Amino acid sequence: MLSRFGAFLRSSIGKKSLMAFTGLLLILFLIAHVVGNLSLYADGDGAKFNAYAAQLEALGPLKLAAELGLVILFGAHIALGMRTYLENREARPVRYKDLAPKGRRTLASMTMPVTGIVILVFLVIHIIDFRLADFSKQGLAALVIERLSHPLGAGIYFISMGFLGVHLWHAFQSLVQSLGFRHPAYLPAVKTVGMVLGVLIAALFATFPILCLMFKGQWPWN
Amino acid sequence: MSGGHDTHSHGLNLTLHVWRQKNAQDTGHFETYSLQGISEHCSFLEMLDQLNEQLLREGREPVAFDHDCREGICGSCSLVINGRAHGPDRETATCQLHMRRFHDGETIYIEPFRAKAFPVQRDLVTDRSAFDRIIAAGGFVSANTGSPQDANALPIPKEAADLAMDAAQCIGCGACVAACPNAAAMLFVGAKVSHLALLPQGQPERRKRVLAMVEQMDKEGFGNCGNIYECEAACPKGISVENIARMNREYLCASLTARPQGEAKGGF
Amino acid sequence: MSTTPTTPKLDSKCPTGPVSERWDKHRFELKLVNPANKRKFHVLVVGTGLAGASAAASLAELGYKVSVLCIHDSPRRAHSIAAQGGINAAKNYPNDGDSVRRLFYDTVKGGDYRARESNVYRLAQVSNSIIDQCVAQGVPFAREYGGLLDNRSFGGAQVSRTFYARGQTGQQLLLGAYQALMRQVGLGKVALYPRREMLDLVVVDGVARGVIARELVSGAVERYAADAVLLCTGGYGNVFFLSTNAKFSNATAIWRAHKRGALFGNPCFTQIHPTCIPVSGSYQSKLTLMSESLRNDGRVWVPKSKGDRRSPDQIPDEERDYYLERIYPSFGNLVPRDIASRRAKEMADAGRGVGDNGMAVYLDFRDAIRRDGAPRIAEKYGNLFQMYERITADDPYKVPMRIYPAVHYTMGGLWVDYNLESTIPGLFVLGEANFSDHGANRLGASALMQGLADGYYVIPATIGSHFAGRKLGAVTTDHEAFRTTEAAVRTRLERLLSIDGKRSSDDFHRELGLVMWNHCGMARSEQGLKTALTKIRALRDEFWHDLRVLGSGEELNRELEKAGRVADFMELAELMVLDAEQRRESCGGHFREESQTEEGEALRDDANYCYVGAWQHTGEGANLAWTMHKESLTFEEVKLTQRSYK
Repeated sequence: MLSRFGAFLRSSIGKKSLMAFTGLLLILFLIAHVVGNLSLYADGDGAKFNAYAAQLEALGPLKLAAELGLVILFGAHIALGMRTYLENREARPVRYKDLAPKGRRTLASMTMPVTGIVILVFLVIHIIDFRLADFSKQGLAALVIERLSHPLGAGIYFISMGFLGVHLWHAFQSLVQSLGFRHPAYLPAVKTVGMVLGVLIAALFATFPILCLMFKGQWPWN
Repeated sequence: MSGGHDTHSHGLNLTLHVWRQKNAQDTGHFETYSLQGISEHCSFLEMLDQLNEQLLREGREPVAFDHDCREGICGSCSLVINGRAHGPDRETATCQLHMRRFHDGETIYIEPFRAKAFPVQRDLVTDRSAFDRIIAAGGFVSANTGSPQDANALPIPKEAADLAMDAAQCIGCGACVAACPNAAAMLFVGAKVSHLALLPQGQPERRKRVLAMVEQMDKEGFGNCGNIYECEAACPKGISVENIARMNREYLCASLTARPQGEAKGGF
Repeated sequence: MSTTPTTPKLDSKCPTGPVSERWDKHRFELKLVNPANKRKFHVLVVGTGLAGASAAASLAELGYKVSVLCIHDSPRRAHSIAAQGGINAAKNYPNDGDSVRRLFYDTVKGGDYRARESNVYRLAQVSNSIIDQCVAQGVPFAREYGGLLDNRSFGGAQVSRTFYARGQTGQQLLLGAYQALMRQVGLGKVALYPRREMLDLVVVDGVARGVIARELVSGAVERYAADAVLLCTGGYGNVFFLSTNAKFSNATAIWRAHKRGALFGNPCFTQIHPTCIPVSGSYQSKLTLMSESLRNDGRVWVPKSKGDRRSPDQIPDEERDYYLERIYPSFGNLVPRDIASRRAKEMADAGRGVGDNGMAVYLDFRDAIRRDGAPRIAEKYGNLFQMYERITADDPYKVPMRIYPAVHYTMGGLWVDYNLESTIPGLFVLGEANFSDHGANRLGASALMQGLADGYYVIPATIGSHFAGRKLGAVTTDHEAFRTTEAAVRTRLERLLSIDGKRSSDDFHRELGLVMWNHCGMARSEQGLKTALTKIRALRDEFWHDLRVLGSGEELNRELEKAGRVADFMELAELMVLDAEQRRESCGGHFREESQTEEGEALRDDANYCYVGAWQHTGEGANLAWTMHKESLTFEEVKLTQRSYK
């Protein structure tokens, strides 16, 4: 059984389905993450957001387990991505002069490794910025607003969300294909939902640097 | 209207950059040739025939390329033409491509199908026997020649038979691999897995087949699928990437449910 | 070359008794090979089309040790793959009165009584098993909504007995056989040697014991030893240069075997297929067939008046001549291939042809589209219409197709007995490469049937007679015969490389093809054949003095490959002309202008020509010569009548 699972993991389709599966969970995480973040907009002093953060903190070992899970998810997704990227390069040792498009290849589908790497770099910055920072004095909300009010910070976050959007543009329908759920009857819906979802997640995340830069936490609607 | 042949045309003048490679060990390079007065009604391979006649007259060795039936079914012809496997047209093999698709004065780059699993043997000729080994690993129904049941004993829904035929149309040319940015062979393998998985005759070996074929595919050194779908666009038979999804599903199910080797033999 | 011109015995080994029991009787009388002994016998199969792939797979399944040589990079590329229309079987699923006997009768009659009754009856008998076997392999034949197999009627048949897989029946059947073959390769029961071209047969003590082949990538000349050799290398239609055959299709394997002593049967029997896309220019490298099934719905016509250059939609019905429907009211557009072809030639010769050069007739779908609607027609012929449009840039939904006959199939081939064994013991010939079952004309959808019958059902039964009935000593590739045969092959390759002339082999081939098409094609006359003979001899002489092949023999060298094949075609062409000359009757695809009825129909001469002409090679080089032997044909079951499709 174990050897069968090992063979599965080593196989091209096994890697792809695991990429797809971890990707699906990561999308779910991103949805939860962005929904949680939206609480920053709920008030002017960040109380709701800090409360949300404290709630998560209060989960204690559960939070640690969740974080560990995330590390594994990200780690697996990234490792598989790099592995397949290297294998794919090796699969064509002599390159074409110029492989022209004949089909429906998109910027997103062609750049998954690149956008993935940018997102990885961003992830490191993001963890240093917020997860490892000490915000016991001013509170997390203030830290977020402070970081994102700075043009450099806002710029990095905004651009990274652009890459995330491109990555997610291809991700959803790709994972449906990789997991074998493609069906002609649902295909158009899957494609639309996938693109809308990808853009929506990235766009919602991108509102934070923009709005922080514009209003420095002083939301006009409060 | 009836003829459609433009007798006034003096033909196309072309500049060709053709990949020349002495043998598998040679590194290869492009050579440039100019060709005059090519009829727009001749096929791409007939254009190459004329190039070869010209080279032969000049005492230079002709360009080797694979071809045979010249009607788009044997899968021998290959070529990446201006960066596109089998040239610019959809659902068209190189041998069916006609010069009316090109314009006078055009520059054309002609390369072999490139993949680690398809080593170049000479010029534009590649070794695609990896596909045969994948079929040998499991792309069949183990039905020895004999006296099987009557052909009509087992009705097959028309839809299943049609879908199986859609997949079975694959001509094994390897354009899917050539066009894939990752040099993956998923469409080829997916088509054969689908053809047999869709039919009742394929059921007994359904799981074993997909596991064995994918294992062999990986051994051959093809790349991984990035769901970019260039394969479908390059396929001269227009085989759908739905077949790749079906293979993924078959492989997942087979992997999750496969019994350890040999367990079934012993019983209790 | 050492052929000993002893007179061979033409023993067809046909069983006697009631025709329906002969195959059973014969199989019972054949010696069997003990299952444990089968692995001791090594069978070498040359070619991987329907006949070769099915034979190799079936023999390996039985336990024989099998090696397979294949000229392509993959066995799946053999030209059987291009057969479009379908495969016949006497299943009688549509309940329209078909039976084994009717398929037998139609095939004998369709072949214009120049095939053996015993062979044809066996073919009809095993036809049903072929369909069962293919379905069991997963061949996706067309089906009806109820899930049962669909049948259609096909050129020349008045029952629907043709099974099909869209317009790609040959492909699907070949992939079935190929997959069965690859399964045996995977199991280690078959050793597969791709990109190998057989260049000679090795005969030891009068028995075929192997071949010399060239590995086409490195150019290495290799020896293969075996206990039996099966040639499944297809037909020789490419002698005409332009044909519907694939570019690699060639006669070299059978021709080399012929020159080692295998008799060649009915070499002049060539099938010209009526529905091909016409020639468009001098660059043309091959002709493309449009499936004969198109004649089920398409109507063939030409303008009534000579030189009518109006576009077809400008020609009203009353000024069109639907000549097949006019001349043959009962069969109409579905007359056999030879008749449809010859009538098209007549129309073109009379100046009523269409297209730029007047060498075409219309095949019109206007009425079928009006009757059934374009979607129904697209469902039946979509891929063929697409193929036509791609080549000609005309849309057959709007403009009638232009078609013209082209060389398609050769009924002639190496002479074999009922066991498919040639006159060289141990050399078996299957599929189109042999001369056997189609007589002087092959019916549509019968080639696939014959290739698979030979491979799946006949040879597995009959090869045992060779192994069990003869004492075969051990022969290895070190044997003297291998050494001398290899030396002969090398000498020949060297000679081709060293001529250093000016003309390419394609150039010679094209010229040879034109001579054959003009004088030994759809219509043959004494005068034309004599002209052809002179021209062929002169051309052959020029070939050996003015051929240009560049490069060496120790590399992938397509020009060298082609040169060898053209050299053989040059000799085979002469034999075809000689055979056509001696057969002063019209039968099937062989139309002698001197032998026709007042209405211009072929006139058979059963009193003088009811035989198989089997040619023995007796002289080489400048003294190239043959002797013809006759195997007379007797008809007990089907009465000899003049064919009539009126």
